[in-house]
Amino acid sequence: MAEQIFMRSAAEREVFFIGLYKKAFPAVARYVSRMGGSLEQAQDIFQDALVVYYEKVQAPGATVPQNEKAYLLGITKNLWSQAYKAACKNQPLDDMQADFEAVADEQPATNKLMHYLETAGQKCMDMLRAYYYDHLPAGDIATLFGYSGLRSATVAKYKCLEKVRDKVKENSLSYADFIE
Amino acid sequence: MRTSLNNIKTIEDHLFGYHAPGDALVFEARMILNSGLRDEVQQQQNTYDVIREYSRKRLKAEIAAVQTKLTHEPQHLGFMQKIINLFKK
Repeated sequence: MAEQIFMRSAAEREVFFIGLYKKAFPAVARYVSRMGGSLEQAQDIFQDALVVYYEKVQAPGATVPQNEKAYLLGITKNLWSQAYKAACKNQPLDDMQADFEAVADEQPATNKLMHYLETAGQKCMDMLRAYYYDHLPAGDIATLFGYSGLRSATVAKYKCLEKVRDKVKENSLSYADFIE
Repeated sequence: MRTSLNNIKTIEDHLFGYHAPGDALVFEARMILNSGLRDEVQQQQNTYDVIREYSRKRLKAEIAAVQTKLTHEPQHLGFMQKIINLFKK
């Protein structure tokens, strides 16, 4: 296992994903083709596998598997078999997306909330993504988002979290009002 | 930090398991006694779930852009042609 890597920007992630496509997509496409799938299905499933892989290698304390190709092929086979089972049960594929650590009672964010977060709250959300999803070191986040130091970046993080939490709360209240 | 932000930090420490064992016990006792605190903890957990959903959506868009690049940029056409050939009957 290699040491954990940090991708600080979309450009760095692009290089990372292109590398993974070149290393692993031919094997994945060969597998999907052998299983009777189409090119589009191979692309869709590989994109989901990349999300799963990214979340695994970016998790705190995680290490990068030495054989990325074998690892990604393993994830793909897993996703393919789930998709096959879902198709047998006549479920839409989108319902069984790569949510491996789904939290009990999790309610998907409404489109309205997601739209708000993607527009008005984007800067906050991008910083929260850097902390909680990309798991970047706090010093890197301070630099990336233009804060003078760790302390001001940390305060900004909690302010953003508070703002988003209030919005989520508001959203869940209106959802509850709607269903009652 | 102001009090409300410190409260958010305390709930975060609880949810992410950062509390020392003694502090964790005290926090759990407070949750048993205080339904308002339980609600706040749940709301904050929901917030982390929303952040993950947002982040996944953004990451998927970045990956889709990489896919488009590989499909359309001349330097990757040879690579993509080999892939397409795998699906020719």
